[in-house]
Amino acid sequence: MASSQVVKVLIVDDDVVTRRIYRTMLLRFGFEITEAGDGKSAVNQFLTGNEYDLILMDNDMPGMNGVEATRTLRGMGILAKIIAITADDANSRGAFLDAGADEFLLKPVNFTMLTVILKAFNFLN
Amino acid sequence: MDYVHLRRQAASLRKGLFDQGYLDEQFYQLEDLQDDASPNFVEEVVTLFFRDSARLMANIDQALDKCVKDFNKLDVYMQQLKGSCTSIGASRMKTECTAFRECCRDENIEGCMRSFQKIKREHSVLRQKLESYFQLLRQAGPVECATRPNK
Repeated sequence: MASSQVVKVLIVDDDVVTRRIYRTMLLRFGFEITEAGDGKSAVNQFLTGNEYDLILMDNDMPGMNGVEATRTLRGMGILAKIIAITADDANSRGAFLDAGADEFLLKPVNFTMLTVILKAFNFLN
Repeated sequence: MDYVHLRRQAASLRKGLFDQGYLDEQFYQLEDLQDDASPNFVEEVVTLFFRDSARLMANIDQALDKCVKDFNKLDVYMQQLKGSCTSIGASRMKTECTAFRECCRDENIEGCMRSFQKIKREHSVLRQKLESYFQLLRQAGPVECATRPNK
């Protein structure tokens, strides 16, 4: 985990509506939320010294997509849990998992499923 | 003011949105996220959706106006719009977005134009209905949790 007790989450999605929904859900758990609108911005968060425990990563974003961002982050040695969340069919699942994502969810996100994953990652008491 | 009547009207309008296919189950998830900490969450997200979707649709309009059609760009814009529709449960709009993207893949510009007109209509109708719904909710005052229509 990042140095503070609060779970720090980076939401990476180019859709402002989707980010707003995830933010509201995760704030319920008392998480600290940062948002990024594309893969490059997500990578830059880490390059500028920020730390996160969890990343929610969309795939289809302008510039660097989620698979590329995931691969880049793992190449940088970033160990944060990455949940890939995408509207793609199962084809992107393999690419994401090969790139180093820890879990995969199809859009629209089922919040109960997301909660199960967060519990499995020990982010919820 | 007859608050009970207003609440019944709001409930009926909401049920109609699901029965007529304008909204799907994803909208229930938004309602589940609304609580004392975020009492207006659903209306805020819907407002954000209509603001952002109007921007995306303006981009698509501009792209369709160009003499040389960039189907890749059109597809990217529509994918964004579709993602937004999926997030709030705007089911009919989402279906039309899919149809538009198929036309992009086929490089069928007339199909794209027709599909986009449908998207605009669905967008407008959904906006009117949801605005009416939220107006009724505001007039009715704080309500208990809405119950889901029987499936």
